[in-house]
This record gives sequence, structure tokens and C-alpha cells, in this order.
Amino acid sequence: MHIYILYIDPGSGSYLVQVIIAAVLGVAVYFKNIRMKIKSFFSRKNKDEVPPKDS
Amino acid sequence: MADHTRHPASYKDPSGFIFQASGKFYRQVNKIYAGHYDLLTRSGLSSFLQEKKLLLPYEEVTENILHSDDWYLTLLPEQVPFTSYPYEWCFEQLKDAALLTLEIVKHSIDKGMILKDATPYNVQFLNGKAVFIDTLSFEKYDPSLPWIAYRQFCESFLFPLLLSHYHKTSIQPYLNSYPNGIPVNITAKLLPWNSRLNAGVWLHVFLQNKLSKKPNHTEPTTSFSKNKLFNLISHLDGIIRNLNNIDKTEWSNYYTETILSRQYLGKKEEIINNMLQKLDGRKLLDLGANDGFFSLLAAVKKFDVIAIDKDDQCINALYKKVKEENITNILPLCMDLMNPSSASGFANNERASFGERIHTNAVMALALVHHLAIGYNLPLNKIAEYLYGFSNQLIIEFVPKEDEKVQLLLQNKKDIYPEYTREHFENVFRKRFTITEKVQVPDSNRIIYLMKNLGEI
Repeated sequence: MHIYILYIDPGSGSYLVQVIIAAVLGVAVYFKNIRMKIKSFFSRKNKDEVPPKDS
Repeated sequence: MADHTRHPASYKDPSGFIFQASGKFYRQVNKIYAGHYDLLTRSGLSSFLQEKKLLLPYEEVTENILHSDDWYLTLLPEQVPFTSYPYEWCFEQLKDAALLTLEIVKHSIDKGMILKDATPYNVQFLNGKAVFIDTLSFEKYDPSLPWIAYRQFCESFLFPLLLSHYHKTSIQPYLNSYPNGIPVNITAKLLPWNSRLNAGVWLHVFLQNKLSKKPNHTEPTTSFSKNKLFNLISHLDGIIRNLNNIDKTEWSNYYTETILSRQYLGKKEEIINNMLQKLDGRKLLDLGANDGFFSLLAAVKKFDVIAIDKDDQCINALYKKVKEENITNILPLCMDLMNPSSASGFANNERASFGERIHTNAVMALALVHHLAIGYNLPLNKIAEYLYGFSNQLIIEFVPKEDEKVQLLLQNKKDIYPEYTREHFENVFRKRFTITEKVQVPDSNRIIYLMKNLGEI
């Protein structure tokens, strides 16, 4: 049986679930950043390879 | 002191409460909340949120109106003309209220504060947009702790939205049954199995459900961080942004797809425009508004319109239009006239019934009477009596039995409505109203009446 008290009772397990979700998201964000860095590295490289139109 | 009344729903938070004095709503800030209130002002959060139109503007009043010992300050907020409740909102309205709450949490974290609660009752719709109304929900942020209101946010915003999204059902029955949020264990049981395949749903519903069954002492002592909280809030925001409950119903395209031709609508529009011009006052209630075609007409004529319909999809469409076109004077709400919102909450007086809240100058009821009379067997006399209760002026349409829309209602039903005639309709309404105008819509047998309430009879 759950007891729901709204004011300032976060509810059983709700802190733990946030800690776990935040950890999962942290890992996801970490890999996303790496992927973005690799992507932007290659897209910059590609851009560099394109010769300017006027030359 | 006689005209000072404390709002019956304002008792949960010791930080202060709402009261009414001389016809206006005020908020008392108690001494216990002084530090948090000062931070809200000093950090610039309050003015920032007001400038962005996310927080209801308010003025500080240095008068202890109630002569209370706990008094620190009195706030006079901008008055909300009509209080609506989450169980009267369409899917998109609850979704916007959820996104508003998350946006406010993000801005608050930046300024060293956080929301200590997260309930849709802290949001109202004003000038076509969701606005946060509870000035006392902010508290000093401790970055080492997760969000105290996370559970409440999930139960009262995320879970109903998820259920409505996965089942493509309207959202009001969930909110009506669980006005304080749907518990996680119930949500986990009600969601379809394929929802588990979504990582966000699995984390926020199924994992949370598993962990909530463990005793309290397993709460972690590891510290949280601002960054982690920011990621969590962004994650919730991302999940909610992708939800919808769009489903085609027989009603959704009533005006656009069915036999009601452009020509018919054009003629009806002319009649309604003409009648609207003859109304006194600016407050208009559109009953059975459908997708709000005529509410929009009234809005152009500067009426403040409350548009209600029982179809959540219609109200969804109207709300989206209101938002996209920045229409500030239509409040779309979902309500079934056969079961309008009742008084609810503790002692039946925390949330007022629809009837208690409605104060309007005029009522518009187009293509509605036949649904009530033939669809729900409601005697015409009862309809007249009901409308008499709150309509000083009335624009009402009578659709006769030979009309194809009525024939459609009678298709699978025995015709037990010998009294459903234009004559009887006029007779019962004449007992309570004066018919000041009566116009037949060209190329149809439909009649639109303009009526005035007879007053005390």
C-alpha cells in the first residue's frame, strides 16, 4: 500500500530512480558528444577540401 | 473581515495561502517562506519569468489584510477570469502545462532555485497560453539533491500523457479518476507491453515502479549535481514533446469533411455575425463548440470566448489554432454537458463545479439541442431550464427531425420523441426567454434564435 503525501515527500524510490536515470543519461550524453565531435571533425575536413569558388 | 475568504484548496503548503478579499484573489506569503521569497525576487528569477510571460504577474502589497500572525507579505496577482482544471484540458493543454513546468525548472536551476512541487493545478490558461500561477512553489536549490517533485511531475503530467499517447484515448478520464496524479504502479499496469521498448518509458515508468516497491532506507546518499538534474529535465522534456494522441473521430472534421457545405456555413456565418453584434457584454460561452468555427468568429468580434466540447480531438485542434495564431480571447475546454465537472476535492469544495464557475453574458448553442434531446433523451423543457440558469442572452439553433443529422441519430433508435418539434421547442423556451429574433438558415430547415432571459419567473 502506497502512501501519497504531496508536500515535500518525494515518494519511495524516486531519488534512487533519478540517480540511475541521470547516470544512464550521463553516459548517453558522453557518447553523443564524442559522436558529435567526430562528425564535426569530418564535416570540417570535408569543407576544407572544397576549394573556394573564386579561385 | 466578512468578505475575506481563504480559498478552500489552499491549505497544503505552509508557505502561504490564497484568499479572496473585496472580490479579488490575493496570496499571503507566510514568515516561514520569507527567505525563499526574497531569493525569488533578489535572484531576478521572478522578473525574468514574468517578462517571458511564464509566471503570472503580481504586485506586492505591504498590508496584512487578514491580520495574520504568520504574515510576511501579501501578493496581488493578475486576476484569472476563469479557473479551469486539468481534467477539462485537452491533451495539448496538459502537454504545454508540463513543458512550461519543465522550462521553469530549468530557468530556476540557473538562478539557484527549484520547484518544490509540480502539479498541473499550478498552471492556468490565460490569453491563449499556459502560465504558471503559484509564486510560492519556488525554493532554494540544493544541487546535491535530486528533484523533490520528480514523482509528482511523473504522476500528474508524464503518466497521463503517456497513457493517452499509447492508447490514443482522450486524457480527461485519467485526470478525473486520479486528480492528484496516476500512481506509478497503476500506470505500469495500464501501459501496453510495447511501451517498454521505449527507453524513456522504461526508465521513468517501469524502473521507477520497480524501485518504488523497495523500502525507503535504500535511498542513495550519493550526491546529485546541477548537470545531472539538467539532463533529467531535458530528457523529460524530449519525451513529452514527442507525445500526441491524434486519432480521427467521427466529429473531428464535422465542419470540414461532412455534408455541411461551404455555402451553408457561409450563410450561417452571416446570421451568427449579425446576432453577435446585438449581444450586450463581452463574455460568451460556446456550448458544443466543435472545432471552434463560430468561437473564432466571436473572437474576431472581440468576445472573450470559453469554447467547450466533449470531443477532446476538436478541442485539441482549436487549442492548437488558438496558440499558432496567437488568439488571446478563446479558452478551449473539454467538457461533456451530460456530465459537467462536479465540485470535488476535500469536502467537495476544493474545486468548484462548472456551474459555479460559469459567469457569462451570453451563451451560443449551435447544432447542440438535437444531440441532447435525441442523442441523450433529454426533454426540451430540461434543456431550456438548464440554459435559463446561466444565459442572459442565447443564440440557439433548432435542427428539425427531418434534417439528415437528426435522421442519422435516429437511424438505430426508435423515434420516441413526438415532442421534438419546432413548436414545442419555442413553447418551452418562451416560458423562460423572449425570442427576439428567429432566422431560418437558407437551403435548410434549421432555425437560429436570438433570445433574452426573462429574469425571475
